[in-house]
Amino acid sequence: MSNNWWEIHVLCEPILEDLVFWRLDKFGCQGTASERQGESLSMRAYFPQGLARSLDLAALSLWLRQDALAVEMPLPMTQWKLIDEEDWGSTWKKYWQAQEVGDRFLIYPVWLTPPEDSDRAIIRLDPGAAFGTGTHPTTQLCLEALEMRIWGEEKEEIAIADIGCGSGILSIGAILIGAKQAYAVDTDAMAIKSTEVNRDLNHIDAQHLIAQKGSIDRILSLAGGQVDGIVCNILAEVIIEMIPQMTEITKPKGWGILSGILLDQAKPIADRLEEEGWIVATLWRRGEWCCFNVRRS
Amino acid sequence: MAKKVVALVKLALPAGKAAATPPVGPALGQHGVNIMAFCKEYNAKTADKVGMIIPVEISVYEDRSFTFVLKTPPASVLIKKEAGIEKGASQPNKEKVGSISREQLRKIAEVKMPDLNANDIDAAMKIVAGTARNMGVSITD
Repeated sequence: MSNNWWEIHVLCEPILEDLVFWRLDKFGCQGTASERQGESLSMRAYFPQGLARSLDLAALSLWLRQDALAVEMPLPMTQWKLIDEEDWGSTWKKYWQAQEVGDRFLIYPVWLTPPEDSDRAIIRLDPGAAFGTGTHPTTQLCLEALEMRIWGEEKEEIAIADIGCGSGILSIGAILIGAKQAYAVDTDAMAIKSTEVNRDLNHIDAQHLIAQKGSIDRILSLAGGQVDGIVCNILAEVIIEMIPQMTEITKPKGWGILSGILLDQAKPIADRLEEEGWIVATLWRRGEWCCFNVRRS
Repeated sequence: MAKKVVALVKLALPAGKAAATPPVGPALGQHGVNIMAFCKEYNAKTADKVGMIIPVEISVYEDRSFTFVLKTPPASVLIKKEAGIEKGASQPNKEKVGSISREQLRKIAEVKMPDLNANDIDAAMKIVAGTARNMGVSITD
């Protein structure tokens, strides 16, 4: 039997989605994929080549038109073509390459073998569901800001809080360049799982990177006191609400790296930080995004 | 997490059975999403619904990370459940395999309303009734 597939593409009114699904399901397709295409819905379904002929697909097209006519809706457009079988379980990896960030970091997807002689801190990542793969400008800005804060400094056992840790990339990066301890929280359980997987990939002791489901209010109990620095790459509207708690969890000479903020959202955040006694040391920008480097007065 | 959605993909899949074959592979592979990670999460979250079709809407972000939410089963699945039948008719024009009341029709339309792209309940009921008729399920008053 051939390893090719018929790809059946139906362009229809969005309201017809369930009706089209039923017809494709009845034809024998195992599931559908749909995306909006302007005002229409683009639905795709697949069928092994050996189990259907063009004539069968022409009949399917007629059934789909008849179904729409029966509910007095515009007729869908149906097309089909053959596509080659691929190793879809692996082909997505072509989008992921090793990437240098800042002066110190090199991010390596888990399936690639990292160089043995690199002078950069290599972050091994398994790009799963959680945000923070190193390709987003805000993640890069935060890593570069961590370089500035931690690299080459007298470490004195720096402890950081990572609020909205996602894949854990910022906690891992901080530890790889010298932080002693990271407390990572995220409201998404999947992110915590991802952080733990990536922590282990980077051979970081579980005692040095503690990840727990929750938000900023978990930090004091997790850390047993205030931390030296905060990294927080989430959303402007969440950050602005957290600023008073950031003050509570940070030592009097502590610092913060805040991103996930669009440039046009920066002003109210700067105002709120100053109200709470924080000093905005620098504001870095990349594309439409920015990153605050702040310290307590 | 600074998130900007670059693609919104909806998949209708058998619960607990997502795999890197079509439609999942081509749909997510083109966006660089870790397909195995998605399948693992989807299968874990739908393991208690095996035998049902559970659609899922996946938001793909700029850095190829993703989130997803499970949606309501397709109308045809809910119709079969309400009518107490295993499958639709092979020749719906000639054969009736079951029936649902107008009240049951409204109930299904209400369940489907958030996902149906319909403006009002009457439009949703019309589409659900059309699906039922095509399946060989009649609507009784």
